[in-house]
Amino acid sequence: MKSILQHTWIRWFVVLGGGAMGWPVALLGAVIAGQVALPPAGKVTVINRRYEVVSRGGVVALNPPLAVVYLEGEFDPPKLPAVAQMTQKGLTFSPTLLPVQVGTRVEFPNLDETYHNIFSYSPPKRFDLGRYRPDERPIPSQQFDVPGLVTLRCDIHEHMRALILVLATPHFVVTDGEGRYRLTGLPPGRYMLKAWLSSTEVREQLVDVTADTELQVNFP
Amino acid sequence: MSAAPEAKARPPASFRVKVWVALMLTIALVTAAAVVFAQSRLAQAGEEELQREFAVQLSALHERQAIRQTALVERCRALVRRPRIVAALEDNALDLLYPSAKDELRDIVESEFNVTMGTDAYALRAQFYRFLNRQGGVIVPAPEQSGGALLAKEERQLAVAAAPTRQQWGFIERRAADGRVTLTELILMPILASETAQPIAALVLGFETVGLGESHPQNGSRLGILGEAGLFLPGLADAERAMLTTALRQRVTAGQQADARFALELSGARHEVFCKLLNPDSLYPPAYEVFLYPLAAMQHRQEQVRWQIIGAGLMLFLIGLAAAHFLSGKLSAPVEQLVVASAQDRANRARAEAALESTSAELARAARFSADASHQLKTPVAVLRAGLEEMLARENATEEVRIELASLIHQTYRLSSVIDDLLLLSRMDAGRLELMKEPVDLSELLALALDDLQAHPATELLDVQTDYPAELWIAGDRHYTGLILQNLLENARKYNCRGGRIQLRVQRQAEVVLLMVGNTGKTISPEGQEHIFERFHRGVVGENIPGYGLGLNLARELTRLHGGELRLVRSAEGWTEFEAQFLAFDMAANHARTHG
Repeated sequence: MKSILQHTWIRWFVVLGGGAMGWPVALLGAVIAGQVALPPAGKVTVINRRYEVVSRGGVVALNPPLAVVYLEGEFDPPKLPAVAQMTQKGLTFSPTLLPVQVGTRVEFPNLDETYHNIFSYSPPKRFDLGRYRPDERPIPSQQFDVPGLVTLRCDIHEHMRALILVLATPHFVVTDGEGRYRLTGLPPGRYMLKAWLSSTEVREQLVDVTADTELQVNFP
Repeated sequence: MSAAPEAKARPPASFRVKVWVALMLTIALVTAAAVVFAQSRLAQAGEEELQREFAVQLSALHERQAIRQTALVERCRALVRRPRIVAALEDNALDLLYPSAKDELRDIVESEFNVTMGTDAYALRAQFYRFLNRQGGVIVPAPEQSGGALLAKEERQLAVAAAPTRQQWGFIERRAADGRVTLTELILMPILASETAQPIAALVLGFETVGLGESHPQNGSRLGILGEAGLFLPGLADAERAMLTTALRQRVTAGQQADARFALELSGARHEVFCKLLNPDSLYPPAYEVFLYPLAAMQHRQEQVRWQIIGAGLMLFLIGLAAAHFLSGKLSAPVEQLVVASAQDRANRARAEAALESTSAELARAARFSADASHQLKTPVAVLRAGLEEMLARENATEEVRIELASLIHQTYRLSSVIDDLLLLSRMDAGRLELMKEPVDLSELLALALDDLQAHPATELLDVQTDYPAELWIAGDRHYTGLILQNLLENARKYNCRGGRIQLRVQRQAEVVLLMVGNTGKTISPEGQEHIFERFHRGVVGENIPGYGLGLNLARELTRLHGGELRLVRSAEGWTEFEAQFLAFDMAANHARTHG
């Protein structure tokens, strides 16, 4: 059960389907919920309030801010290679911030009518997908095996940037705009709960997770 | 007669000379003023031309520089936004910085991308490039990485205090392997974080400067750069360079001004020097553009024009000389004629005056003579008459002697009367006769004169007809008016025929009183009528009639003295008629005036 729930899509299925069928929360394992106090949003330059990667004084973050809350500890790598997607549509990456577990292959489908050229100079993963069109098959992808923050750029469109946060844990979630999060299906144990806010700011709290309980942890 | 040749002999040419000199002076002054004005205008125009040419060339130069700089800045700005360069800097991939730059800067480093404008070629190809980190330090490429060869010393010159937010310009001197010194222009382009516009690094590119020191084909102007290392202006002798550098440094450091302009003597030739700060507010040492403009060609040109102006002035002067000669001749001709004419006039006048003077002297002499003669004659006549009358009074004289004596006495009276007339005339001629003007009753005087006439024995045979009012006043001298009447009536009696007629009429017409005296007798010939009033004239009719031809003349002179006139009205068909005109005196009006 635990290993099945580590697959994102199965977990979503369980959460959404189970919720609809009135399954008890206990089925989803332990839960940590709370809120991360996000820094105030900087000036938003785009009209549709998309998230964008901001590098200020060497500090890379998102604007408006988002956080990734994850449980740090000793976890097995996935048995099956996980696959995630980061699309390019409307000359932006979507999502702008993508946390993945180490070993995850991320696909970069081009949904625009133009070429894109995704590359990364970030130490955890350097790659260059070269120019490719929307109909490029197989969908260009990269496997991320080193934890860390990877900044994605497009060599053709200098404004396009996205972040992939490679984590050595399967338990992570991206907060909503207000910083609220909810981590489910957690195994019992003593962990460090971390909240990633930027390339230089990670808040952490020690948590004791007991089976089928819900913890309320806020990051002020 | 002697005045005219004298006038001709006097040189009227002096006037011509004066006119000529005046014209020449005027022309000389005008020419000189024109030359001076033209010279000053030339100097002014030369200065303006210099300014213009200077400004044109400088602005063309600056325009080219601006275009080049704009092109460079645009290219560099595009380069520093390249995602790979930004990624290498932002994502801590400095090892990928120069390899990425090699790719991205291939165009600007390797290609022959030059801007050619006119005769100047401006390199847009970079000799080298280096990145500076956020602190302004040079990120030195690894030995195997490209970026253009630079000595360590030169590389150090690229560093700045901190990565700036805007582009910077600078110059460094580089010594090539062959010892040739070149000047490299630096452009520092900040690399900004795309969202915050904060500098995260900078890119410095070095471009070779071209065209420095080359002489402009038209005016020989040259361009150089004054930097920290000194003046970079190839083709200039060391002494000249040192002199120019000193002059520039003085101005640059003294005023700290962006622009300086001054004249300088370099190797004996004047030069205009323009100096402009090329990189204001730059983090690199200040560099000045030095524009050396030789004035020799312009001075030579001005000298040529100056001589042309002087030549034109001389020509003008010579033409003026000829024109003055011609004009002075033209102008003085009528004056000279006038001089000759006036000399003749003067001579004529002198002659006339001399004649008048002699006539007047003769007249005076004649008048004096006739006055003297009259005076001298009256006394002997009176003595003679007295002697004769005494002889007549003697008892012992025979009847024959008595008749003879009476006749002689009568002759003395006639002589006295002639002398009186002459005396009177001479006084009149001399202008010494004074009239005692008063109201005179002409009728009374006429009556007296008629009485005298009736007393004459010859009058008995004559028919005297009179027609005059009882009282008629005229303005005149009673004595001389009576003399006029007496003369006229005597004349009428003397020239009458036997059994003839005398007619006397007086009538007043407005302001004058007319007295008509007519008599029968032989008429006066038309030739005689012309001379009838002349002195000592006696008509042919009067050959056997006593008289001296003074009566009518005297009567006329006296009438005229009274403001009136005496004239012969007619003398034809045995009838001769005179008309005397007197000024009427209005007794009633005068009475009213004095008593009213």
